[in-house]
Amino acid sequence: MSLSTELVKILNAVEIKAVEADYKKQGYHVEVLLNKDQVRDFSKIMLEKEFYLDFVTAVHIESGFQAVYQFGHFEESCHVNAKAVTKDGTIHTICDIFHGANWHERETHDFYGLKFTDHPDLRVLILDEEDADLNPLLKKENKLKSLEKITRSEESQDKPAKSVKNKAAAKIREKKAKPEVKSEDKQDDKPAESS
Amino acid sequence: MGTLTTRFSTIQDPDEKHKFLLNMGPQHPCTHGVLRIVLEMDGEYAMGIDPILGYGHRMHEKMAECRQWSGFYPNTGRIDYGGAIPYNHGYCALIERMAGIEVPERAEYIRVITVELNRIASHFLGVGAYVIDLGAFTPILYMFDDREDILDALEDITGSRLTYCHHRVGGVSKDIDDLFIKRTRAIIKNIRSRFDMYDRLVTGNIIFQKRTKDVGIIPVEMARRYGATGPVLRGSGLGFDIRKNEPYSVYPEFDFDIPTGENGDAFDRYMVRMLELEQSLRIIEQALDKLPDGPVMAKVKRVKLQPGDCSFSVEAARGMLTYYLVGDGSNVPYKLKIRVPSYSNLSLLEELCKGSLIADLVSAMGSLDLIIPEIDR
Repeated sequence: MSLSTELVKILNAVEIKAVEADYKKQGYHVEVLLNKDQVRDFSKIMLEKEFYLDFVTAVHIESGFQAVYQFGHFEESCHVNAKAVTKDGTIHTICDIFHGANWHERETHDFYGLKFTDHPDLRVLILDEEDADLNPLLKKENKLKSLEKITRSEESQDKPAKSVKNKAAAKIREKKAKPEVKSEDKQDDKPAESS
Repeated sequence: MGTLTTRFSTIQDPDEKHKFLLNMGPQHPCTHGVLRIVLEMDGEYAMGIDPILGYGHRMHEKMAECRQWSGFYPNTGRIDYGGAIPYNHGYCALIERMAGIEVPERAEYIRVITVELNRIASHFLGVGAYVIDLGAFTPILYMFDDREDILDALEDITGSRLTYCHHRVGGVSKDIDDLFIKRTRAIIKNIRSRFDMYDRLVTGNIIFQKRTKDVGIIPVEMARRYGATGPVLRGSGLGFDIRKNEPYSVYPEFDFDIPTGENGDAFDRYMVRMLELEQSLRIIEQALDKLPDGPVMAKVKRVKLQPGDCSFSVEAARGMLTYYLVGDGSNVPYKLKIRVPSYSNLSLLEELCKGSLIADLVSAMGSLDLIIPEIDR
């Protein structure tokens, strides 16, 4: 049994959502979708299984942030990508488990303002201290996208260019037919809170 | 620039009155760029180490989000100026993986040749600068002489000597010619003939050995916690190399070894780099022998980055480089994360050198082969 199959079984046993990914298309072997409070348990499993930390980063989305953790393995070919959505801009640190996460979390805090609770030393790392609240990677509201729009889906995977084109054409058609319905839809799409 | 607070801005405990703060950098020669380290010193011993980054920060990741993906090519060559071509390669390979583009075989061979040439040039720079930190001035002159030949050859096909931008999505921008092949073969022969001299000049030097052996020992378990990769990890005895562990491009077709050290000290990291020179030469030789004919650029239609994320790792000169891209269906990346090897390699410095002599700190830090603008991005 390969390490990725074994890992998926172990993670599913402790109620962490994990699936095997298509390495040729995504560049990692296992995709993990975490709840915000599972991050630490998950990291402990990764340390036990002798994974190393690749990086920690975040993605700014409409409903908050998506923290991204990637792990790799020194002996076997196995990359693990884990994502956890946090709506209030805080997530628990893992830097006491993987010491290398310390700097990655400080950097993410610099760029996004994402707070890692219980981090021992969340000073600015890369930015100047005067610019500590700049958070340069936060997106403007008109550029923010929802999580669904940046997540891989089956239809977009097959023929990306065509589906985009069709969507655009469909939009125009829809607009021509019933403009007022379209605008209502748009309002519904946007969630009430955005941080 | 405002005042930067460090963890030890004041020493108030009366029992620790004999301790003092020492500011190393940002213009210290052994930090190879603009890295500042605040040291809490007890006599000659560094009891606390706090690296302060950001002097060379350019926010490449934001630039990637503000332009079409093809506008980011030149940036990739400016992240790590020591070994820029693997950065080119990783970015192109990432977009190719996302869009499912096949690259012509000849282009893949040219990519491997240029990447390995660049790796040799980068190791010469790293080792030469390291030996200069330890007080030996001569070796860097010979190493830069060898490096100069490589830069000349690369200049012919890429047009630049340091910040390359040669690889493109779907292939490479310029084909190599017979002159380049002839030159490269001459370079291989020349570098091989110098190995003996380097052994006598550097490796066998008693001062060099005393400064590096048993200094800055990194156990594998520590490397794992910090995510250290590249020669820093291989010096500790673990033969992890993306070219072998997760083969990409045409690397599986070549026969080469992954040199490893035994003790994980600064000397082993130096030795790994020197042995890697020979392995890179072997790869280039085989690639030149097998070089197929054909086009060097695939026909690429307009690429849209489909929704979803994708990651690609390559073995850069200093370790594993990972690009992580999130697309949203447009041709502008929604997010691009660049995981640079030196970043993780430097983060273990505090644990590595706590309580060591300041001279050993210089030696251990030099053996990590850091490029600071790569860390700051």
